[in-house]
Amino acid sequence: MNDKKLLVKGTVPPPLERELSIVGKPIDRLDGPEKATGKARYSGDLKFTGLLYGKILHCPHPRARILRLDTSRAEALPGVKAILTKDNTAGWSTYWYEIPEPAFAEVLTHEGQEVAAIAAEDVPAAQKAAELIEVEYEVLTPMIDPEQVLSSPPPPLVADEVYPGRELYDRKPFVLQRGDTTKGFEEADVIIEDTYLTPTQYHSTIQTRACIASWDGQCLTIWDAAQGVWNSKLAFAKSLDLDADNVRVIIEYLGGGFGSKGWSQRISYYAAKLSMLTGKPVRMERTRSEEFLLHPHRYECKIQLKIGARKNGKITAIYERALLNVGTAVGKPNYNPNRIIWQTSNLYDCDNTYLVQIGVFTNLQTIGPLRAPFNMPSIYCLETHIDRVAEAVGMDPLDFRLKNYKTHASTHMKPELMEQVMKIPWSNKQLDKCMQQATQSIGWENREAIRRSSDGPKKRGIGMASFIAHQAGGKLPNKAFADVDIHPDGAIHLRIGVVDIGAGQKTIFAMIAAEQLGVRVEDIHVIYGDTEGTRYGPACHSSRVTAEMGPPVLQAAAEARQKLFALAAPILGVDGTRLESNDGKIYVKSDPEKSLSFAEVCKHIDPENPVHGSGSRDSNPDSPLFSSFGAQAAEVEVDTETGEVTIIRMTAAHDFGRAINPKLCISQIIGGIEIGVGYALSEEGVYDAKSGKMLNPNFHQYRLPTSMDMPPIEAYLIESRDPYFAFDARGGAEVTNAPTPAAIANAIHHAIGIWFNELPITPDKILEAIRAKKAER
Amino acid sequence: MISERKRLTLTVNGKNVTAEVDPRMTLAEFLREELDLIGTKVGCNRGECGSCTVVLNGRAVYSCSMLAVEAGGKNVLTVEGLAENGELHPLQEAFIEHDALQCGYCTPGMLMSLTALLMENTQPTEEDIRTAVAGNACRCGCFPNIIRATMAAARKLHDNSEQAKHER
Repeated sequence: MNDKKLLVKGTVPPPLERELSIVGKPIDRLDGPEKATGKARYSGDLKFTGLLYGKILHCPHPRARILRLDTSRAEALPGVKAILTKDNTAGWSTYWYEIPEPAFAEVLTHEGQEVAAIAAEDVPAAQKAAELIEVEYEVLTPMIDPEQVLSSPPPPLVADEVYPGRELYDRKPFVLQRGDTTKGFEEADVIIEDTYLTPTQYHSTIQTRACIASWDGQCLTIWDAAQGVWNSKLAFAKSLDLDADNVRVIIEYLGGGFGSKGWSQRISYYAAKLSMLTGKPVRMERTRSEEFLLHPHRYECKIQLKIGARKNGKITAIYERALLNVGTAVGKPNYNPNRIIWQTSNLYDCDNTYLVQIGVFTNLQTIGPLRAPFNMPSIYCLETHIDRVAEAVGMDPLDFRLKNYKTHASTHMKPELMEQVMKIPWSNKQLDKCMQQATQSIGWENREAIRRSSDGPKKRGIGMASFIAHQAGGKLPNKAFADVDIHPDGAIHLRIGVVDIGAGQKTIFAMIAAEQLGVRVEDIHVIYGDTEGTRYGPACHSSRVTAEMGPPVLQAAAEARQKLFALAAPILGVDGTRLESNDGKIYVKSDPEKSLSFAEVCKHIDPENPVHGSGSRDSNPDSPLFSSFGAQAAEVEVDTETGEVTIIRMTAAHDFGRAINPKLCISQIIGGIEIGVGYALSEEGVYDAKSGKMLNPNFHQYRLPTSMDMPPIEAYLIESRDPYFAFDARGGAEVTNAPTPAAIANAIHHAIGIWFNELPITPDKILEAIRAKKAER
Repeated sequence: MISERKRLTLTVNGKNVTAEVDPRMTLAEFLREELDLIGTKVGCNRGECGSCTVVLNGRAVYSCSMLAVEAGGKNVLTVEGLAENGELHPLQEAFIEHDALQCGYCTPGMLMSLTALLMENTQPTEEDIRTAVAGNACRCGCFPNIIRATMAAARKLHDNSEQAKHER
């Protein structure tokens, strides 16, 4: 590889001259045995003596003002040790994505917002105390429907009604414009226009958030359930006014995140404060319904699309208006005002676009990232609409996509550049190959035959969709460090301040280090998920960890290897530059028989001064742009008598650069598809229109896909070079759900000839649409 | 407020256990809090996610939705009891090999639902496997791999038992 491009600061390691022996191999994840035997201890599984148990009192209303708050009866309850409310925490802020939020507010802006936090000797006492707190609310009319909110005067921004970031973003249109859409639509032979509605979606990690905070008088240690240790540590220090060196965050195992655990959330701050007040460790754990109410869910969208094309299939103009219900969203990092329309701007080649995105702050809970946060609504609407335009011009959907294939990006991701019209190359793009692979594997050429073959009440169809996603991080603070230590006894420690979310981070970084060092994966002891012993590492979100941490791990391992070579060189009687290592041996390149085992060389390490390699990630350049791509296809069967959709099978082809571990990458694709299947067919938050309260905060009424719903999946990795990253691994696991809903919706249309512009496509909607279609005839 | 404790005797992972328990305690709480068998997870505490599944007298049950005292005199198998003498059960091995787990949180419950299946059906079809874990939620989306792993484990268990018959 051309390692000059590798995104590291300082010395760029020379390329390995030998064949790779570890990277690219489908090895088993390293923590499989702990997880398969039940030995893996997640935050809620840890045991402490003298532990206090926390409970939260939640506001039952989406918008209310606290008129009176009395904790005296709760405080008098035996076993109750401390209670936090707005009255004894004035001025205290907690953080979510670096945005300060009041720890407890007087005017509450979403259902479930915290009113009090209690620490008691056992759970029943804490629960009872929550019931004994007397709160008198003035219930305010909630703002729920974004279109209605948009046409009403904004509520007064009183000092105590805090919507962080609202003054910056609420109701403010963000526009991406290029060319002349009036002219573009005039040139079009067909114009298709429609409005789409996408639902809220919930992460539904099987582990509910749980944390234990322990204050020893000087240091605070938090065993948490979050996707990052370092971002959480720094935020705790800021919130609690502690020296960051005195805060330690530990997350060895995490029971799913999908964005919901991007940073530590409020319960962890409450646990910390309660521990500091009582001097005892405090445990907080959320119930499933609390998870639903306080999830930073995927926002619902109303997206209007108008696309014009010539008869030859060339797109001439795109108009889009995306209205987002961002709930009580906090600030810019969560809201990302251009991210719906960014996808539209960069997926298809079109000279004339007018894309506008508006976020409306409401009282519909909180929003935040959920696996491909922006891509899901954006790509579902765009990729369904593209099929409609293809149909209107009489073109095959695959041919239509290839006809309008984009060879460069028009919109950058950097805030200071995003409003400019640009022409930026991608570091690599294999979307055409992904589309060809996914369609070929589903049997695209038999598409019409399959549709015609189903003449009973059950109709079959095949559909596809593609997507683009911003990749490789670049988010603040945009740094990552890795350290490798090698000791005289041969122990190799890789120290990285990241969490293994379940995607296999522990495994792949061990693989990168082992490949560079020339040892076996099992020789690497990975120290991760802990701020002690590691330097700053990014949180495991935005599919950024491989892209951001891969290069410094490679660099640290390479530096440590070169130092070992310097020790081995005099023993082997050659210059260090003539050495190479592989499979636990250091040998002379030109004469591999002349070798030493790692263990032998390590004996020469000074115990006082172990071999150390250090890695540091450089920032992303402005050009090229890093994106990941993919395409999926689905074959479905629609029962026109019951409205039930069965996904017969799916194919998926994704462009991640290269896979460090293809087995784990394939698992990520399968996992993405599950969340896409749910978004397409069954998942949605349901709210009472008047009160704004959530009606289905449980797994009985909020329908996740089950084993009965998941189709067989053929997944492919379309690999290519991307030398900016460690072994070309650009990443892209998170966003593998992006094309799934449109592929399914397009297949449903292919089967029964009906377009659905509202997700999820549930049986009742299908039956209603079939009835309406019959009535039209 | 605290109820009178009840005496409970049962078998857990082949061992006799006797304890005095709060009669309000669920079986899941008893396993986790009293016996420190934390492999059994509680993801919803209302019988919807399946992460608390254990095998009770050969049947998969949601341990969050029964009281500990109801398990009196019965035989409970949890994920900690699957491996024997440090050797992983073929299902556990297959889960690792086929990457049928990601975050691992649903895994113990998933394994126990499938253990109950394999106890009564040594040659399950794909449909049998889907049905056996229909009450176990997995948000990482491991189902296709879980099905493959279980088919492989069933084959191995079947081959092992055939071999044992011949050796007899």
